[in-house]
Amino acid sequence: MADALELELKHLIIDTLELEDVTPEDIDREEPLFVEGLGLDSIDALELGLALQKTYGIKLEADSEESRRHFANLKSLAALVEERRVD
Amino acid sequence: MSRSSDAPHHWARIQESGSVAGMRLMVWIRRHLGRLPFQIMLGPVILYYYLGRALPRRASRRYLERIWPLYAGSPPRWKKWLGLKHFMAFGQSLMDKVDAWSGMPLDVRVSQEDRACLDRAIRSGRGGLMLVSHIGNLEICSAMSDNRDDFHVTQLMHTRNSQKFNQLLDRSILRRGPEIIEVTEITPATAMALAERINAGGFVVIAADRVPINEGGRVRHIDFLGASAPFPEGPFWLAALLRCPVYTMSCLREGQTHRIEFQPFDDTTHLRRADREAWRRDAMHRYVDWLTDQCRRYPLQWFNFFPYWQVDDRYDG
Repeated sequence: MADALELELKHLIIDTLELEDVTPEDIDREEPLFVEGLGLDSIDALELGLALQKTYGIKLEADSEESRRHFANLKSLAALVEERRVD
Repeated sequence: MSRSSDAPHHWARIQESGSVAGMRLMVWIRRHLGRLPFQIMLGPVILYYYLGRALPRRASRRYLERIWPLYAGSPPRWKKWLGLKHFMAFGQSLMDKVDAWSGMPLDVRVSQEDRACLDRAIRSGRGGLMLVSHIGNLEICSAMSDNRDDFHVTQLMHTRNSQKFNQLLDRSILRRGPEIIEVTEITPATAMALAERINAGGFVVIAADRVPINEGGRVRHIDFLGASAPFPEGPFWLAALLRCPVYTMSCLREGQTHRIEFQPFDDTTHLRRADREAWRRDAMHRYVDWLTDQCRRYPLQWFNFFPYWQVDDRYDG
C-alpha cells in the first residue's frame, strides 16, 4: 500500500509543481526533495503543503522544524499523509 | 556610509524596550484616568521620545523629506515641528488603539463604495487576503470585525511585532480581538492554516511594507518615494498560492473620525502557475503605488520609524 501512496504523491508533486521534465521514476523515496535532490525551494514547499491539504485534508503544526522533517523526502511525506489523512 | 548586508537597522532589531514601558504607562493613563489627562500627558511624553531617540527621529525626517513635496508641493519648511507632529500622530494612534480594544465608541466612516465592496466580499463567502501597511491604525478595522459575526479576521504577524503588541496591550484588552497567527517565517503549516481560514470565508490580514528578518532573501527593491526600498515578496507569494480574492485595507484618521478604506486589489483564483512571476512583479508595484497614494494623502500617519530606504543609504552614501 505504501508504494501506491508514494506513487500517488509523486504524481501530486509533479502535477502541482508542473515539473515537466520529471517522471515518477526520477523521484527517489530517500533523496531530499528540497534544495539538493529534486531541487525544490521554500515556495514549492508552501504549494505542496496546500496541495496536500486540499487532497488529503491533513494539518500541520506551526513548528517549522517539524515541517522540515515531514517534507524531507518522499518517504517522510508518505508517512505524514498516512498518519494524518482524513479522507 | 557602509553597512553590513544584514542591516543592523532592520526594524526588528531596533531595541524598543523603553518605549514599551512608556507606552504602557500611557495606556494605563488612557484607561484609568481618561482622555483629557492622556492628551495632556501625550505632548511631554512624545517630546521626550522625539528628543531622546535619534534613530526614529532621523527616519521620520528622511521620510518627511520624501513625502512632503508630494503632499504639499514643496519640501518641508519647519522640519523639527513637522517631525514632532509625526511623532504626535503616532501617540494619537496609540490612544486610538486602546480605545478600539477597550470597546469605546469610535466614529468610523466608510465610503459607500468601500462599504459595498466589504459587504460584497463578506457575502461572497470566498474570504480573501487583505494587504495592509503600517499606515494609520489597523486595529480599528480589526475591532470592527468584532461587531460583525460574519466578518472573521486573522492577522498574520511577525513574532517580534506581536510580542511588543502583546506586551503593550497586556491586561488592557477587554475584547477578544482578531485571531493572530505569529510567525518568524512562512512555512507550509502557515500557508495551510491561512488557506483553512480563507476556505471558511475568513479574511487574512498581512502587512506588505516591512521585510521579515529571516525572509531568506525574498525581497524586491522597488522605487518608493524617489528611492529604492526593500519590500517583502512573501505576502505576494501567499496571495498567488492561496488563490483567492485580494484586497487592500487601511484605516486613517481624519480629524476626529476614522476613515476605513477597503478596495479590491486582485483575484488570484485563476492565476496560472506560469504567470505567477509576472503577476507578483506587477502586484508589488501596484501595492507600492497604493502605499504611495496613502502616504501622499495622509503623510503624518505613516508609522515606520526605522531607516526605510536601507539600500539607498548603502549605495548612495
